[in-house]
Amino acid sequence: MPKALTGLIIASIAGLVLLGAVVYLVGSAWFGLPVGAQGPDQPIAFPHTVHAGSVESGGIGLDCTFCHRNVDKGAAATVPAVQQCMFCHSKVGGTTEAAQLQITKLRNYYESDTAINWVRVHRLPDHVQFVHDLHINYLMENPARIVNSVPEIGSDGSVNAAQTCSTCHGQIATMTTVKQVRALKMGDCVDCHRQNNAPTDCAICHY
Amino acid sequence: MVSTPRERKWQMVVDADRCTGCQACVIACQAENNIPINSESHFQQKRAFTWIRIERYWEGEFPEVKARFIPFLCQHCDNAPCEPVCPVFATYHNNEGLNVQVYNRCVGTRFCQNNCPYHARYFNFWEPVWPETLRNALNPDVTVRGRGIMEKCTFCVQRIRRGEQDAKREGRDVRDGEFQPACAQACPANVLIFGDVRDPQSRIHEFLAKDRRFRLREELGTETNVIYLSKLDLEAKEVAGHA
Repeated sequence: MPKALTGLIIASIAGLVLLGAVVYLVGSAWFGLPVGAQGPDQPIAFPHTVHAGSVESGGIGLDCTFCHRNVDKGAAATVPAVQQCMFCHSKVGGTTEAAQLQITKLRNYYESDTAINWVRVHRLPDHVQFVHDLHINYLMENPARIVNSVPEIGSDGSVNAAQTCSTCHGQIATMTTVKQVRALKMGDCVDCHRQNNAPTDCAICHY
Repeated sequence: MVSTPRERKWQMVVDADRCTGCQACVIACQAENNIPINSESHFQQKRAFTWIRIERYWEGEFPEVKARFIPFLCQHCDNAPCEPVCPVFATYHNNEGLNVQVYNRCVGTRFCQNNCPYHARYFNFWEPVWPETLRNALNPDVTVRGRGIMEKCTFCVQRIRRGEQDAKREGRDVRDGEFQPACAQACPANVLIFGDVRDPQSRIHEFLAKDRRFRLREELGTETNVIYLSKLDLEAKEVAGHA
């Protein structure tokens, strides 16, 4: 086979692979799907399944608000401080070898006074101002609007704050590594605002 | 269900009689709204930013000369010349009487700046930079505008939103005087009075009723939401009386 032809074939295969990659990236950006089926690896393989998962599924059934304490009180959900993990993990050391390894990592962070550099999964652009607590309050009073889960409605028709999170974040309690399930693009926000008769003025979120 | 908020219309009264030209409003605005720091060369190129600025001018001849000050900010015109010229609807009027600039829509044509009769709009010719020591002093409630974006006074919309959110959390309506823009808060002489004119109890009505009121370049018909109160000059009146 002439050398030029071989080169041409290699170049066209490389071109096709590159084109495929571009189509995939542009497509996932266009349809708002997060790239990759799995969430990013975290410095500590924190299993939400164990902490937030129901007792029947082998978890200990903590409320989201048990660790994300500010989520129903202010704008930011807040990731708990290492110290807060140590409330339990100064005593709880894990039952399996894999868990013990991760908890040792956590204790090392605590002893060396360093924060854990979690990889952020849900990030809105800087020009968007989002307030967690008001959205949660609304969904607590209007459980019919909760998406991605079947809420347990209390006697007064409202639900617990932790049951509203699935609307945007999906079933975190069943995820070993957290990934983004909803596009969380402006169209997504605006659709939901329209359906719920919420304001759609630009200056509600952009300022 | 979401209760529709009461119709609001934010206005500001600027009492030029009280202004001493101290520039506290300028600094407060700069700190509140993440406005880039102006260097000497920015001023020389006439590309310096101040969402609110004090215009100083001299009246009379030396030695009988008087300094006069007028704070200038975006007038939030009801009939704004900047709005119809934007090709991408990045600037528009919302139902609270605010002239809103949507940074993420702006493409930087600068038509609005050309059409503004008050020189209230500023264009980011450079990517803003802050010294490392000031990075953590940026206001998290305000977007940091990048290069190629138009910006201007927002009436501290982030404070309005914060006030509304606090009111909602407590299940009440927004109270008059609960929040005010950074410039009004910083002003030691109470030159700037901010309020909702749709609220009949609002303190701003006391000032709006004064006969000293005027609007800047009223002949243009821009229907501004910033109302000025003219200078009370007792000496000038005496002179006029003698003449």
